[in-house]
Amino acid sequence: MFQRFKGEVFITLILMGICAAPVSAQVDVLKGRHSFGVSGFGGDASIAGQVTDVLKNDIRLSGYFALSPVGSAEYVESGTVRGDRSGVVIECVVMQQATKKVVLSKTYQGSGQDLRRAVHKLTDDIVQAITSQPGIAETKITFVWSHGGAKELAVMDYDGYNVKQLTYDRSISVRPKWSPDGRKIVYTSYKNLFPDVLEVDLYTGQRLRLAAYPGLNTGAAFSPDGLSIALTLSKGGNPELYTMNAQGGDLRQLTHSRGGESSPTWSPDGRDIAYVSDESGAPQIWMMGRDGGAPSRLTTAPSYNTEPDWSRPPASSDMKPMLALTSRVGGKFQLGVYDRGTGAVTPVVADGADNEDPSWAPDGRHLVFGKTQHWRTQLYLLDVVTGEQVQLPSIEGGASEPAWGP
Amino acid sequence: MRKKFLVEIILAAAVAAFGLTGCKSKTAMNGAGKSSNAEGSVPPLGGGPDGGITSGNGGRPSGMTGEPVKGQFGIVYFDYDSARIRPSEDAKLQAVAAYLKSNPGNLVVEGYCDERGTAEFNRALGERRALAAREELVKQGADGSRITTISYGSDRPADPGHDEAAWSKNRRCEFGIVNQ
Repeated sequence: MFQRFKGEVFITLILMGICAAPVSAQVDVLKGRHSFGVSGFGGDASIAGQVTDVLKNDIRLSGYFALSPVGSAEYVESGTVRGDRSGVVIECVVMQQATKKVVLSKTYQGSGQDLRRAVHKLTDDIVQAITSQPGIAETKITFVWSHGGAKELAVMDYDGYNVKQLTYDRSISVRPKWSPDGRKIVYTSYKNLFPDVLEVDLYTGQRLRLAAYPGLNTGAAFSPDGLSIALTLSKGGNPELYTMNAQGGDLRQLTHSRGGESSPTWSPDGRDIAYVSDESGAPQIWMMGRDGGAPSRLTTAPSYNTEPDWSRPPASSDMKPMLALTSRVGGKFQLGVYDRGTGAVTPVVADGADNEDPSWAPDGRHLVFGKTQHWRTQLYLLDVVTGEQVQLPSIEGGASEPAWGP
Repeated sequence: MRKKFLVEIILAAAVAAFGLTGCKSKTAMNGAGKSSNAEGSVPPLGGGPDGGITSGNGGRPSGMTGEPVKGQFGIVYFDYDSARIRPSEDAKLQAVAAYLKSNPGNLVVEGYCDERGTAEFNRALGERRALAAREELVKQGADGSRITTISYGSDRPADPGHDEAAWSKNRRCEFGIVNQ
């Protein structure tokens, strides 16, 4: 069902020749990467190889490091691993080679099944210790798994491992979005024939129906404080934007336009909502205050802009909030970032394939998206600072509409 | 992932094979009248914020609601990126309106897009197509309270091909009857 690596970590770094430049001058400062040497782990040889592979992959995907030989690296890792009945113990030391300063010395424990998780925690600690920036190695991504005409939701680790199916409805389940606490996923489900907004609690498996009005119920997106949900309803005769509380009550209509509105995304401070409207004739990104009011148009070019996603980097990070979106240019889909100062959209992935549905990682530096080539869609990660794309392990049948968890 | 369950394309097959089994009419669901909004649970993914992640088990398929009976009415087609009803399609809508005025039952109008737009925007565009067809039916005297829309966006294409011949068949509205 899902293809897996044959026991070895294999990531292809695809440096797209036509990939456009990073988004703005403020990120040029971050582009320089530290060289990092992984000397591996002593101790239990049967585990050390896998621990080393996961660490190397995490270090590479973080974007802050370039793997290099131990002898010449700026930072060097060493450690031991020990396996016992209750799981695995990983001891790791990271040192700045020139000064011999120890930047990290820590022990991690996990059950045998949690080995990858323990290494992900180690990597995030390394990233934090050296760069003071948040890592992404412990995060999750949810997505739509296509197979045989049905669409189900699945969740996986950010690196594409540990794929777990979430719905088993043999229906169409699409457009998943996370709650800010990472505990719930709201999505659009046709399991009851009609497109409804459902919510699933990942810990209990319980599902609630949050919106099942006549017509279309879709596009549910949690506010940053987790108390509200914006969504698209057509119960009034036209797809419009609404908000409701997290239990599905207190429904309020935001937009009242002749066009169709869809795809809401909240600003990081929760005060505004960006969304798609085609009231000007073609879909563009607009913005409105969360309590309604006059809409303002954000994008004017290219002629088709949809699927906005607004990043929420922590205040301590070097990244600033950015609005990613999908543009159609010459019949092909590109990822772009909207610049509020100039009003322009800067392409960040424009390579001749169809690149759609960007979703920001919580670090505000990486995003996950769907790339369609030869009519098959797979998930890719993008580091907007370096412009590098990485394909995640292939999902048999196809994967689309990803959403990166908190 | 264990291949414990059979995954088949049942949606398309069900249209032909299913009789009607009381598909609830969406027009009865005006407003927020949700007495119970439980939706059946799924295998839990995790035991809590500090717990390990357990793997899902095979789960059973949830109950199917009856699909509308289709095939009795002509399919209405649309131009690329458009929800406008072309004059060439008027006769098909007249036939649907005429049927509704003389027969009981509810009508489901399904709206679809070809594969070329983005997924969520296509759900809205498919809905605009279905709503445009519904509006035309109401203008011709059909009872709007008996007509419900379902947008599938670019899902469930009529033609799985990847050229304009296929795409033009996928930009469509289909009509189905649901008896209460």
